[in-house]
Amino acid sequence: MTYWALNAFFLAAVALVALAAVVMARSARTAADPRRSDTGPRWSAVGLSAIALLITTAVFDNVMIGIGLVAYNPDLISGAFVGIAPLEDFAYAAAAVVLLPSLWHLLPARGSRPSTGTGPSTGTRPSTGSGTAGAPGPSTDSGTAGGPRA
Amino acid sequence: MGLLYLAALLVSLTGMVVLDRRFRLYFWADARRAAVVSVVGVVFFVVWDLFGIGLGIFFRGETAFMTGLQVAPELPLEELFFLALLVYVTMNLYGAFGRLLASAASKRGVGA
Repeated sequence: MTYWALNAFFLAAVALVALAAVVMARSARTAADPRRSDTGPRWSAVGLSAIALLITTAVFDNVMIGIGLVAYNPDLISGAFVGIAPLEDFAYAAAAVVLLPSLWHLLPARGSRPSTGTGPSTGTRPSTGSGTAGAPGPSTDSGTAGGPRA
Repeated sequence: MGLLYLAALLVSLTGMVVLDRRFRLYFWADARRAAVVSVVGVVFFVVWDLFGIGLGIFFRGETAFMTGLQVAPELPLEELFFLALLVYVTMNLYGAFGRLLASAASKRGVGA
């Protein structure tokens, strides 16, 4: 079995989990209390994470292969490379960035209290969490937030 | 010497923990969910690895940078930490981008 054939099975499993997350979020939205419902994976955040992760993979996979941490059977890979990294290796990063956020949204949120639980992708209530949660990102004025636990 | 790769992974994981704690991205956002996602994620990728190894697609390189300890044939101890790092980086990125997009949207008056 080739590396791509192996990846196909695992990527199919990832797709099923993602589908489950989308379906569950949709049915939750149409349920009685819309505030309780998790909105499901935030695909724009998934996309941006994917870009960062694929670039990181390209860099570090090349280093890891270059210094000899891992090697491949040349008969079982497609021969498409990014540098010296087989293109197939990027399936791990692609799987991670879809599977893990999907799992996150499939799981019930902490406490399951209304509108607290949308997890790492929340921040829809800018005034509440204040403190550290208020200005998290590197592009915002994070340093000045000075949250209580900084 | 043989600890170099493991040490690099542990330093990187520590960095992920620091960022998580500072910005409440993953475990500090919801520890229970983060624990479940992390365990399931690492197990999923270990199984993927084991199939790749079992099918003879890839194998451990002979290098002085690793401890030589193996948790399964051709599966180095370091791979568990690598996969944990992959999971942690992914979810920290997702948490950070999700937060940034949400705050950008609320600044524009959309959402929220």
